[in-house]
Amino acid sequence: MINPHPGLPELQYVKPTTLAEASKFLAEHEGVSRPFAGGTDNFVRLRDGVLKLDYLVDVKGLEGVREISFDAKKGLTIGAAVTMNKVASHPDVLKHYPNLAEAAGSVASYQLRNRATVIGNICNASPAGDTIGTCLVMGGVLKVHGLDGFREVPLSSFFLAPGRTVLKPGDVVVSITLPVPPKGFVGTYKKLGRNTIGDLSIVGVAVMGYPAKESPSGYLFRIALASVAPIPFESLKAEAVLSKQKITDEVITKAAEAAMESVTPIDDVRGSARYRKFMVRNLTREALTEVWKKLNK
Amino acid sequence: MNYSTITLTVNDLVETVDVPQNMTLLQMIREKLSLTGTKNGCSAGECGACTVLMNGEPVNSCMVLAAECDGAEIVTVEGLAKTGKLTRLQETIIKSGGVQCGFCTPGMLISATALLKRNPNPSDGEIRDAIVGNLCRCTGYVRIVDAIKQAAK
Amino acid sequence: MANVKTKEKTTNPIGASYPRNDVYEKVTGTAVYADDIQFGNKLLHARVVRSPYPHAIIKRVDTSKAEKYPGVKAVVSGKDFPERIGLYIQDKTIFATDRARYLGDPIAAVAAISDEIAIKAAALVEVDYEPLEGVFDAEFGASKEAPLIHPKMHEYVCPNFIFPVPHTNISNHFKIRKGDTDAAFKKCTHVVERHFVVPHIQHVPIETHIAIAQQDEKGKITLWASSQSPFAQRNLIAKGLHISQSDLRVVAPLVGGGFGSKAGVTMEAIPVALATKCKGWPIKLILTREEEFFTNFVRQGLSSHVKVGCDKDGNLLALEQKLYWDGGASTEYGVNVTRAGGYSSSGPYDIPNVKTDSICVYTNHPIGGAYRGFGMSELHTGLDQAMDELAEKAGFDKVTFLKKNAVSAGDTLVTGMTMHPNGIQQCIDDVAKSIKFGSKEKPSSPDRLRGKGIAIMWKAPAMPPNPGSSAWVELAEDGNVTVGLGGQEIGQGTFTVMAQIAAASLGVPYEKVRIAGPVDTQYSPYEWQTVASRLTWSMGNAVRAAAADARKQILEMVAEAWNEKVEDLDIVNGIVVSYKSEQETPLSNIVIYGMPKKNDEGWMGGPVIGRGSFMPKYVTNLDPETGQGARAVVHYTVGCEGLDIEIDKNTGKIYVLKGAASFDVGKAINPELVKGQIEGGFVQGLSSAMFEEIKLKKGVMTNPSFVDYRIATAPDVDFPLEATFAEVPQDDGPWGARGVGEHPMVPTIAALGNAIYDPTGIRLHGPPYSAEKIYLAMLDAGLVK
Repeated sequence: MINPHPGLPELQYVKPTTLAEASKFLAEHEGVSRPFAGGTDNFVRLRDGVLKLDYLVDVKGLEGVREISFDAKKGLTIGAAVTMNKVASHPDVLKHYPNLAEAAGSVASYQLRNRATVIGNICNASPAGDTIGTCLVMGGVLKVHGLDGFREVPLSSFFLAPGRTVLKPGDVVVSITLPVPPKGFVGTYKKLGRNTIGDLSIVGVAVMGYPAKESPSGYLFRIALASVAPIPFESLKAEAVLSKQKITDEVITKAAEAAMESVTPIDDVRGSARYRKFMVRNLTREALTEVWKKLNK
Repeated sequence: MNYSTITLTVNDLVETVDVPQNMTLLQMIREKLSLTGTKNGCSAGECGACTVLMNGEPVNSCMVLAAECDGAEIVTVEGLAKTGKLTRLQETIIKSGGVQCGFCTPGMLISATALLKRNPNPSDGEIRDAIVGNLCRCTGYVRIVDAIKQAAK
Repeated sequence: MANVKTKEKTTNPIGASYPRNDVYEKVTGTAVYADDIQFGNKLLHARVVRSPYPHAIIKRVDTSKAEKYPGVKAVVSGKDFPERIGLYIQDKTIFATDRARYLGDPIAAVAAISDEIAIKAAALVEVDYEPLEGVFDAEFGASKEAPLIHPKMHEYVCPNFIFPVPHTNISNHFKIRKGDTDAAFKKCTHVVERHFVVPHIQHVPIETHIAIAQQDEKGKITLWASSQSPFAQRNLIAKGLHISQSDLRVVAPLVGGGFGSKAGVTMEAIPVALATKCKGWPIKLILTREEEFFTNFVRQGLSSHVKVGCDKDGNLLALEQKLYWDGGASTEYGVNVTRAGGYSSSGPYDIPNVKTDSICVYTNHPIGGAYRGFGMSELHTGLDQAMDELAEKAGFDKVTFLKKNAVSAGDTLVTGMTMHPNGIQQCIDDVAKSIKFGSKEKPSSPDRLRGKGIAIMWKAPAMPPNPGSSAWVELAEDGNVTVGLGGQEIGQGTFTVMAQIAAASLGVPYEKVRIAGPVDTQYSPYEWQTVASRLTWSMGNAVRAAAADARKQILEMVAEAWNEKVEDLDIVNGIVVSYKSEQETPLSNIVIYGMPKKNDEGWMGGPVIGRGSFMPKYVTNLDPETGQGARAVVHYTVGCEGLDIEIDKNTGKIYVLKGAASFDVGKAINPELVKGQIEGGFVQGLSSAMFEEIKLKKGVMTNPSFVDYRIATAPDVDFPLEATFAEVPQDDGPWGARGVGEHPMVPTIAALGNAIYDPTGIRLHGPPYSAEKIYLAMLDAGLVK
């Protein structure tokens, strides 16, 4: 990165009006075109020369991408063009998925959240993506349009490697649907950055828990971790600790330790592997304590 | 080089502009419209010096393509003091000493103006959170936060 | 003093917190910075070809393909400008010639009709490199094993107060030998010996570097630049091009932050070089944020070995320091930082025996230049923390220890100079009181630790012995005053303060004074540089003298016209009054047209134009072996900072509860502006203490963007910050004023280091004191599990 471009390199801006048009264009220009909504990840990569494209395909005019709505049976649907700020302040999100509002509101700055989108965060597939863990633990399912039409992809099978997903040439993610959450659920997103707020996560912990009769402890939890693995990582080991036995402070600590043991973070410019492991433990413990307090009321 | 012709409103004036498709909104504002009040600090969406209102919401104009802005309403720092009368926030930031080199000021004013519109009585913490994306190197933010508080009163 | 006839009350401009005179433009977006100047269609865009290696021989540079690319107007490289330039030691060329010495070293540059074309053409410049072993550590660089980065250093032109060691990488070895430290340490009851490492950081002005240059057909060059040093740039670039200073004009508009980065000459020379190859075309170079981070100026790193000792009563007896400054690929400016670090190496402590080796080392790292504090922040980071430990070891309360050992008037300083009266005792008291330093207070929760830290500092303006200021004052028919000056408004408020000084000295209201800007070397009077926190003091003296000169001309004219004595006349609120006859006349037309003699028998007076200049004449050189001399520096500004913090035991994060800062400014010309400087400097200091670091891996900066070079944001400074000042007058400052621009950034790292140590007993090796470092240290110390 000795000499990034002062603005953006030469490229063409394409704004298709239908999903069919978009998929066709993206497939025909495989490798040199990419869909974008807010552009906050793509533009930076283009400047640095890490990403080279001939075409940026604006998805903000396509069918269904601006929608954000809650249905008592289907759950919450968020279109590809819905910004983080909109998600963080939407009444249905605040009411039914407050942990998602928390996660979306933790991203970057107010200005960037007026452009960045949850779908963009997911498609960028960075292990540091702040909203991915929450969408994962809430059972998010993506609606994708490709050359073969529509299909559904659960988030749990979406990520392959940092920056790589199961999306094929011609694919456009239209929306994500989070099913109606289990009754009585409580969730939170805890993020550790270098600054007070506004930073990328050194470690991020998305936790949700809910009453479940079938579980020996009476509760089931889902725990997803950011910035500690190549892809957003769900710690099944930690979850198991919380379902097997009656939940106490000690059990929570055990679960946090299990989370710590289950991750293999790397040293990078933001933090060391050692620090990350301890922070996974401490943040998971903090998140679980907070969630448990509310569940147990 | 591909061009788009866009029509948009900037500070209440309708403009029709031919823009290269890789031109950012920031570059268009500064180079095509000669509105140099909005500043370039990083071109990467981090420093906030380029903040403008787009359809009422603050955005980093370096992270928006001009070609996307057909039909948009843009407000830059030049559009705050309509008919030359300073806004309350412009007055309080002068009075509180929240302007030193002034380079972050335009972006800061836009972010703060938008904040006061959506939250007319913000707490200290809400003010700071709202301007986390506006970097200042001179003032230490002390008097900027004070100015925004005073303008809210 | 109220005017005899008019009932208006007059405010004394000195000490009045007037609103700034440059902010209307800034809040309306009409203020003009360098990138806002409109040059029209002829403007060419420059792009620099940079070395991808931190150290390499340049075997071949072929610009032919780039030159032929359509739309390219000029291509230049090292062979076109082989002359070495530099502010102190002349060790750099505009473009690398025989070898590249740091990652990003400019090899060539292209000027073209658009950015796109310039970028494409620059990619066509062919360069063959032979990578060399690099030097990435200052102490290694100073050793015999290190490869030489400047093998011809002994040929470089160098002033007689810089001491390079030939055939080494040491471009300055400044020594202090005061008293006998070996003997003194034997007498010490308590000794602390520590090693600290301060990493490189960058200034991060929100406006990056920018310069536009144009050469006309006759060969005269105009340079527009975001600049702290229009006159120094004129001088150095003219010398480098072998042209006369008067044939190079520098126009310097408002600056969007400097902090030292825009002092001296750096990237400005590149568009000038290009301009000489295509006469008549203005060429603009603006650095990207990434280039700003590591290709231009940074603050050098420091490895400091500190050994300090006191007797059983806590009196400091001896101090020994070995300071290795990681100067980078060029130390043309950095050698003076090393010198300043040396002659101020005792800090504001009275120590009879001092041995200092302050060593500037070439490395294949980014270039260390002037940075707010000029070595003092790096120096005090280690020194104040060593003192903190010594106080504890000796069993003294820290405030008592500081007050006991702080320099007072009459003390013989580390260079043999005598200390002048100063307010450090008051500064320490202010800060200690503000954070209730003596009382141990409880943290807000069992998950937190609470600590307090305090640190003192001093700094003298780091300048050559003869840096001059000059100013003129003229009036218009309406009685408004214009002040001509050569210092730059970089945000510190100098235009406002100079207007206040002129107003007070002349006798007019502040609102009637304008500053002739932008500074333009063609019209503005000479000013050495806008650095060193020197303008209020030095340029202030020149402006005061110029206004006084104008006042003298006016009063002499009116005295003659009224047949009165000058001593009975005054100018109050822009009106000339006689206390004797009670006559008065406003300062309007008479300042241009003069006054008629009696009975229409001619005229007296004429256009009033006051002039003033100031240059310190008393600074002496220092002995190269001992660093001793009668007067090393012009004066010292002293101060103190303190922090009351909590540390989160789960994350290691620091939460500041309160900050306090107090500096002796001699006289606060504009108290609110002084506080603004203290606040801003404190936060920049805190930012360097908590977050900032240029992460270098074998010469490569791995975090050259805001994403991973973090600075303080608004939510990070959510705590009360109490900024106060003392006013012990400076004998040769305007109304006693001294500078304060840099000083608030200096002791913050040490204050935080001391605050972290307080509850944990942990003293980290060096800043930034990140949450990670603190947490892992607490873990390893068994404080948390």
